[in-house]
Amino acid sequence: MPVPELFVTFYEVFMQTYKGFLEAGLLTIEITAIAVVIGTILGIIFALMKISHSKILQTIANLYITLIRGTPLIVQIMFLYFGITSIIVLENFWAGAIALGVHNGAYIAEIFRGSIQGIDRGQREASLALGMNRSQTMRRIVFPQALRRAIPPLGNQFIITLKDSSLVYVIGVSELFGVANRVAASNFKQFETFLVVGLYYLILVLIFTALLKWYENKLDVDK
Amino acid sequence: MIKAENVHKSFGKLEVLKGIDMEVHPGEVVVLVGVSGSGKSTFLRCLNFLELTNEGVITIDGKRVNQKKDDLAKVRAEVGMVFQHFNLFPHKTVLENVMEAPIMVKKVAKSTAKTTALEILGKVGLSDKADVYPNKLSGGQKQRVAIARALAMEPKALLFDEPTSALDPELVGEVLQVMKDLADEGMTMVVVTHEMKFAKEVADRVIMLNEGIIIEDADPDTFFNHSTNERTRQFLEMVNV
Repeated sequence: MPVPELFVTFYEVFMQTYKGFLEAGLLTIEITAIAVVIGTILGIIFALMKISHSKILQTIANLYITLIRGTPLIVQIMFLYFGITSIIVLENFWAGAIALGVHNGAYIAEIFRGSIQGIDRGQREASLALGMNRSQTMRRIVFPQALRRAIPPLGNQFIITLKDSSLVYVIGVSELFGVANRVAASNFKQFETFLVVGLYYLILVLIFTALLKWYENKLDVDK
Repeated sequence: MIKAENVHKSFGKLEVLKGIDMEVHPGEVVVLVGVSGSGKSTFLRCLNFLELTNEGVITIDGKRVNQKKDDLAKVRAEVGMVFQHFNLFPHKTVLENVMEAPIMVKKVAKSTAKTTALEILGKVGLSDKADVYPNKLSGGQKQRVAIARALAMEPKALLFDEPTSALDPELVGEVLQVMKDLADEGMTMVVVTHEMKFAKEVADRVIMLNEGIIIEDADPDTFFNHSTNERTRQFLEMVNV
């Protein structure tokens, strides 16, 4: 009977590998966290450039977003890894995290731009009519509302980042997928091993989704 | 208080204002009427520089405003504006809505701003709503908060852009009452509205705009009862007065 047999081997693989996977999972979380921070910072900067009145800044931001969105992440990881490490010495871990961050920056910039431009024009006008200047209006009125609106798509993007972090295995980072690859190559139980690693990703995503839901609910109190 | 001379405004090829001259004296209540598309809202927005004129001069409190060189934020701080759709800040409580500009623009201490804000909210009858977020308010309450928010800046004049047009009929009265109280206290007001009863009772002057020019400027009695202008009479018939 193949099904119970699968459960047995699945259990075996799980028990044999969980220690290694826990460490790898931690690495996945670290890479994702660093990429999210870098991506958010870049996203804010490039979103501001896009909504600025300067043609030059707009062009730079558009170029960045077009290049990132127009090429596969795996190519960007390889390109950045070999590009950066030919200039400075950098651990694979950092090269991967930075590449993932730069990649996400483009998408996050678009999320922020959309949420800023989605704020009703009347909000800006009411603020200006009260005598607030442009920067006060952005800081106090537009951005706080835009941020609130950006949280659901940002959360979505962070989940994508978590899953995309698996691609840094190509530069030899021992995160979840990298370890799964190695384990599968040595125990020849590819099916069970990738099932196990899939489960780890699923658990991480579910935990993150729950956190996000909780945070969104908290923001919505009274509003 | 507010003086407009030869104000022209175009959006692309569409000329909305074709040379408007108007003066509002301190303490005066001027009601702007006209069919939709006559330019009355655009003109009101020009008085607060939310729209910049293509031509013409606007003088606020004796000071000729240079749209390009002057700090428009400073000019706007002296003239309040109330919008059709309230435009309250949804992420701030009623009290925070009212305190925001005095703190940010006038650099008033937070405690002072709070005392003043509560006082003004009392005046518009909303003391009990200070800590509520705007989405918990009715339209009439929202508009009264918007008026309180404008008043907190102690403006020299207030502009109203169809303040009751977005309200359910039963909520119009409470907003008009607040406006009437302000008028009685001597606030200088320019009001774009379709509330002819308000114009009759409260206005010192009624100005009729048509296709971007002023076609009548008269006291309410003359405007509503003795107008010789064909367009004005047609308009009054249309709005059923």
